[in-house]
Amino acid sequence: MKYRTKLTVSALAFAAATAAQAETTLNILMTEGLDKAAMEAVAAEYMATNPDVTIEIQALPWSQFFQVSDLRLRSGDEEVDLIYTDAPVVANYAANGYIVPFEGEIADEAKSTLVDAAIKAGTFEGRLFALPMNSSAQVLYYNADLLEGAGVTPPVGLAPGSTASAEDIAAMATDGRWTWEQLRDAAKAVTVSEGGRTETWGFAFEQFGELYQLQPLGASLGGTLISDDAMSAADHLDGAAWREAAGWWSALFNTDEVSPRALGFGEATQMFLNGQLAMFVGGTWNVPAVADSDINFGIAAHPRFADGTAASPTGSWFLGVHAASPDIEAARDFAAYATLSPEGTETWFANLNQLPTTLELLARIDTDAAYDGFPGNVMRLSAWESRNTAVPRPVTVAYSQLQDAFRTAFVDIANGVDIDEALVTAVDAYDEAARRLNRQ
Amino acid sequence: MRKHPYLLIFMALLPALLGLALFRVYPIVLALFESLFSTYRGDRLFVGLENYDLLLRDSGFWQSLKVTLWFNLIINPLQIALALLLAIMFVQKVRFIGLFRFLFLIPIGVSLPVAVIIWRIMLLPDGLVNGFLGTLGVEPLRFLTSPDLALYAIIAIATWKGISYWMIFIIGGLQNISPEIHEAARLEGASAWQRLWMITLPLLKPTLLFVLVADVTINFLLFAPVFMLTNGGPRGSTNVLMYEAYKSGFVFGDMGRAMAIVVILVALLLVIVGLQFWLLSGRGKGRAAQ
Repeated sequence: MKYRTKLTVSALAFAAATAAQAETTLNILMTEGLDKAAMEAVAAEYMATNPDVTIEIQALPWSQFFQVSDLRLRSGDEEVDLIYTDAPVVANYAANGYIVPFEGEIADEAKSTLVDAAIKAGTFEGRLFALPMNSSAQVLYYNADLLEGAGVTPPVGLAPGSTASAEDIAAMATDGRWTWEQLRDAAKAVTVSEGGRTETWGFAFEQFGELYQLQPLGASLGGTLISDDAMSAADHLDGAAWREAAGWWSALFNTDEVSPRALGFGEATQMFLNGQLAMFVGGTWNVPAVADSDINFGIAAHPRFADGTAASPTGSWFLGVHAASPDIEAARDFAAYATLSPEGTETWFANLNQLPTTLELLARIDTDAAYDGFPGNVMRLSAWESRNTAVPRPVTVAYSQLQDAFRTAFVDIANGVDIDEALVTAVDAYDEAARRLNRQ
Repeated sequence: MRKHPYLLIFMALLPALLGLALFRVYPIVLALFESLFSTYRGDRLFVGLENYDLLLRDSGFWQSLKVTLWFNLIINPLQIALALLLAIMFVQKVRFIGLFRFLFLIPIGVSLPVAVIIWRIMLLPDGLVNGFLGTLGVEPLRFLTSPDLALYAIIAIATWKGISYWMIFIIGGLQNISPEIHEAARLEGASAWQRLWMITLPLLKPTLLFVLVADVTINFLLFAPVFMLTNGGPRGSTNVLMYEAYKSGFVFGDMGRAMAIVVILVALLLVIVGLQFWLLSGRGKGRAAQ
């Protein structure tokens, strides 16, 4: 009897001590890989200063991420406090009530800490629903030997051994930027075919047919994808600017035959590293692999149309707070730490090396001499693009449908389908979805 | 006087009936129920027949229905005719028939996803099939990315995979036809062609009815090759209703629309299967009695 009493008292004391130490557990649902490792580093720092909070990361493979997270959010799973999400999905989650907005102090701090484009991408119907972990930028990778071998002078670019001040970067991005027309000519010059088989391809986009990757084509010519009220894509996606952009895209495959059809993710980089591809537009995440290769490469600013303005892809991953979380305030506090605090953002940046969204880190990339040399200067070029040419993806509850309709249209165009027909079909598909999802 | 063994029959059928209820009836009822709801801004709302109403005014749905019907109009007669041909060859006693039988049965041993992957590699612009066509002087064809060819490439793959399976049922039917009937016809001077039309096919009718119904059902619900090879493209040319439903439900999270499509698909199948029964058994019997 005595022993049992003792045992009960000890157990209660232990439970009380544990409860005092870790009263809150926050679960983050996110993708596997480098992002998870970076989040673990941020979480470890947060837990060191907040001993009453335990952060657990539930990581999912990329291929299942959106489907599983959608199901878990939809079912109101209390085991998800924070959700890691791609920028354009924010509107859908917000519209469905899966995530709660950031208001008051955190929203004010976000406005003074982050670049405008990131705030805009996390905002739905005037309220800030998600905070950005980082942004992204795309650059033009070129194989200098292949271009010179075909008699083409490569663009002004960054390469191992190069240094570039903020002024140099600005000059390169303003005056040294290639046009899509120039790129097409160069691609034609460098493409080598033998007996119906292409030995060397001129050019490829890293993400074949994807909206994120191709939106700057239309945007460079002043084209938008959907109306301001997000209800229709008519006269936008099938407008004059997009028809012209789609014509340029179609020529890559159907008349010039300088670009391979239907590349999977990572295939363009691999072909470039094998010397089978002379140029590709891809994310800055390819820099380490390209820098480690034997290719005599350079990295230039994202091209633009001769008659248009410079436009480049942007946007990346955000953190939102699940509406069904039992600890919404604690989850908001961690999200603010990870995305707004100097410590959290510094750790994330140091671990993942993705383009940051805080004004402070972006200013440092501009002024710190550590970013003069390669590959730091590529980050400096990306930062310049994010401030001057970045075009965020449209905010709409029917984003998944827009992305699918866009991809279908551009893959079809690459496969020889008539441009007008492909774009009008995409407009119909989007308008139908927008009508359905916005019906009262 | 012995009692009729109702209980025994019921107990024997119970596992199958339970399986049927759980895996067939329940999902259909669930789909019907869910098709009456829609999710709007996080709230699940009863919308009655609105999902159907919207579908009927949705050009994407009509396009997908058209593709599904065209696909089935071609693939079902093709598969059954080829399966019948193979079955007739299979039961012949000729030289090297062992080798032919082995070759005919290979597709059954390969799972559908594996078959699809192998065909995908073979049909690439620089794949085996185009390599072979190249030796004949034919330019490389874009089997899976051309709007004019993709649906037929999928029909070819599904047919390659399916006919051996249906062939086995038809062989069973052929072996049920008494050799004496053929023998008698031969003695009466009937040619091989006449024996096929006037003896084999009429006596195979019950088997062919089963194969037709099962084949049509499977092909109306075909999903894997479209999902793995074309994602419904190019130009929506392979966007069958099953893929359209999958995309609605699992890519766009619009379960109401997905369920409405599935219900329409099931209703369509019931009508077609009913029609097949009526044509092949009901009317056929009437004629035989005359």
